[in-house]
Amino acid sequence: MSVRPTSAAPPLLLLEQVSKWYGPVLSLNQVTLELGAGITGLVGPNGSGKSTLIKLATGLIRPTLGRVSVRGLDASDWRARHAIGYCPDHDAFYEEMSGREFVRTMAKLNGFTAADVTDRAEAVLTRVGMAGRADRKIRGYSKGMRQRIKLAQALLHDPELLILDEPLSGIDPLGRQEMLDLFRSLAEQGKCLLISSHELEELEKLTDRAAILAKGRIASVGTLQQIRALFDDYPMSVRVVLDRPRELARHLLDLDGVLGFDLQDDGLGLTIRARSPERFFAAFAALLLERRIEIRELEPLDDSAHAILGYLLGGSGKT
Amino acid sequence: MTNPSENLLRYRPWKGELNPPIYASLAMARASLRLLLRRKVFWALYALALMIFFFFFYAQYLVVWITMQTTSQTVNFGSVPVKMNELTKFLDRLNLSGTPHTFGNFIWFEGYILMIVLALSGAVLVGNDFHHGSLPFYLSKPIGRRHYVLGKMLGIGGLINLMTTLPALVLFIEAGLLYDWQSYYWDQRMLLLGILAYGALLTVVLSLLLVATAVWVRRTVPLIMIWSGLFVLARSVAGFLVEVQGFHPVLKLIDLWNDLYLIGLWFMGADIDPGKLGPNPQPWQAAIAVTALGVGCLVYLRKRIQAIEIVI
Repeated sequence: MSVRPTSAAPPLLLLEQVSKWYGPVLSLNQVTLELGAGITGLVGPNGSGKSTLIKLATGLIRPTLGRVSVRGLDASDWRARHAIGYCPDHDAFYEEMSGREFVRTMAKLNGFTAADVTDRAEAVLTRVGMAGRADRKIRGYSKGMRQRIKLAQALLHDPELLILDEPLSGIDPLGRQEMLDLFRSLAEQGKCLLISSHELEELEKLTDRAAILAKGRIASVGTLQQIRALFDDYPMSVRVVLDRPRELARHLLDLDGVLGFDLQDDGLGLTIRARSPERFFAAFAALLLERRIEIRELEPLDDSAHAILGYLLGGSGKT
Repeated sequence: MTNPSENLLRYRPWKGELNPPIYASLAMARASLRLLLRRKVFWALYALALMIFFFFFYAQYLVVWITMQTTSQTVNFGSVPVKMNELTKFLDRLNLSGTPHTFGNFIWFEGYILMIVLALSGAVLVGNDFHHGSLPFYLSKPIGRRHYVLGKMLGIGGLINLMTTLPALVLFIEAGLLYDWQSYYWDQRMLLLGILAYGALLTVVLSLLLVATAVWVRRTVPLIMIWSGLFVLARSVAGFLVEVQGFHPVLKLIDLWNDLYLIGLWFMGADIDPGKLGPNPQPWQAAIAVTALGVGCLVYLRKRIQAIEIVI
């Protein structure tokens, strides 16, 4: 499955028919995925294989079958990691180090010369908002500060591909907004961000593109709307607010694919259930124009990541 | 977080050249050493190691000073006449005369402290990376697994040399200054090379052994138990078998620190006299045993490195 069309250059991240076994447990099952620039959310319930996919992409583990490549290089090749910045979920540091010292050490591991280490470390610390607090020992950091330091070390070498595992966990609302802005600006620079998160609402604010994992397989890849459109069996719900709901309701019965509707208690809105979103919206727009009905609000009720996950996984969609 | 324009000014796409990953190994070694030097629990051990060094340093000086200061063959302590050779006799066992045995003994005694430091540091430097899950930070950088292992070995090697080779070299310089330095340094140039070779041997064998055992058991207590088994129990068993039960000296090969000591003396050109050192295997036998151990550790590490699956 492809998120972005392929170009002449080798894809930034490519998983080809990748399977990963841990002893008798199949963690990933024949996953094929290609990522290019932009933000992609990686969502799925616990045990769906998200962490395994991330470790394969960063070369920390090797696939049992198939191939993982980064810009054409095998992901387990150390040179491939020049293109990858990884912010793990785990925050096990050397607690005696200060944040600045840790980032500087990571810069040296990245191969920066002594002359560049300070500049680079200061640049990323500033970028993640830790420049003024980085001299404290990591042992005394809050969860949010640890997240920022992890992000700083991932940004050091200006990687094309940023793999972020739960980057928003533990960060306060203001910090969250800053982080989301940072991710957006990185995506605007042409970076590829693969973000695994349980914070679906935050993820939706960031991107509408997602790779949904379930039981070790890629259940779906694409924009949330594209994925939603594939669920022909599940009626779509749309809430419409307008002044003449009863008039609209009369005409709705003639529209192809409309299964039913409910009038709202306040008399100013309708909740419509329809099959096949594309056909419904085309017919619905034509109806509104033809009958000159003005609507004030239109809100799809179940194309959120939660709802889609629920349909995909056959449950609540909780991850 | 700063405003976007400031971000753009400070955080620019990286276009420069990066060092090859061997530099990452050096950085890792420096970080490891800093970590060990910073832990307060180690300070007492460093102080003990320093005390052994000062003992050798001042005792070496004392032996020469007493010999030069006293013109008669006896000195009086109160009204009790004591022969000059009796006065420094207690120091004779340490051979404080700038000979190969001086440095061999010094490193032997430092070994007691070194073994404790290494047993504790194995978990700090290597075991914790596996146990607490900090390995992904390092291995997600553009370095290979062998660079990681090399970095850790260099860090441990640095510590070993700080506690053995470096102070031994200071003792060597001191010995030269206490005697006729021009002739001493020239005459004992092979001894100097021997000290360096002994240090290199300790570095390679002990760092390999420590990384291998730390990768294997990871936690401090099991690591201490293994090192106690290797350096205390094995030594006691070897002593009991050879010196008490009278078995063949080749059984002493199970005492690794003694093997390293014998090879070290061999490197420094010392006379390995069974009358003085007790029954011991030949240095070449010790060399075979140590080489076998080193190769065993290398094979184990190679297998582990290939199989490292960072599953946290």
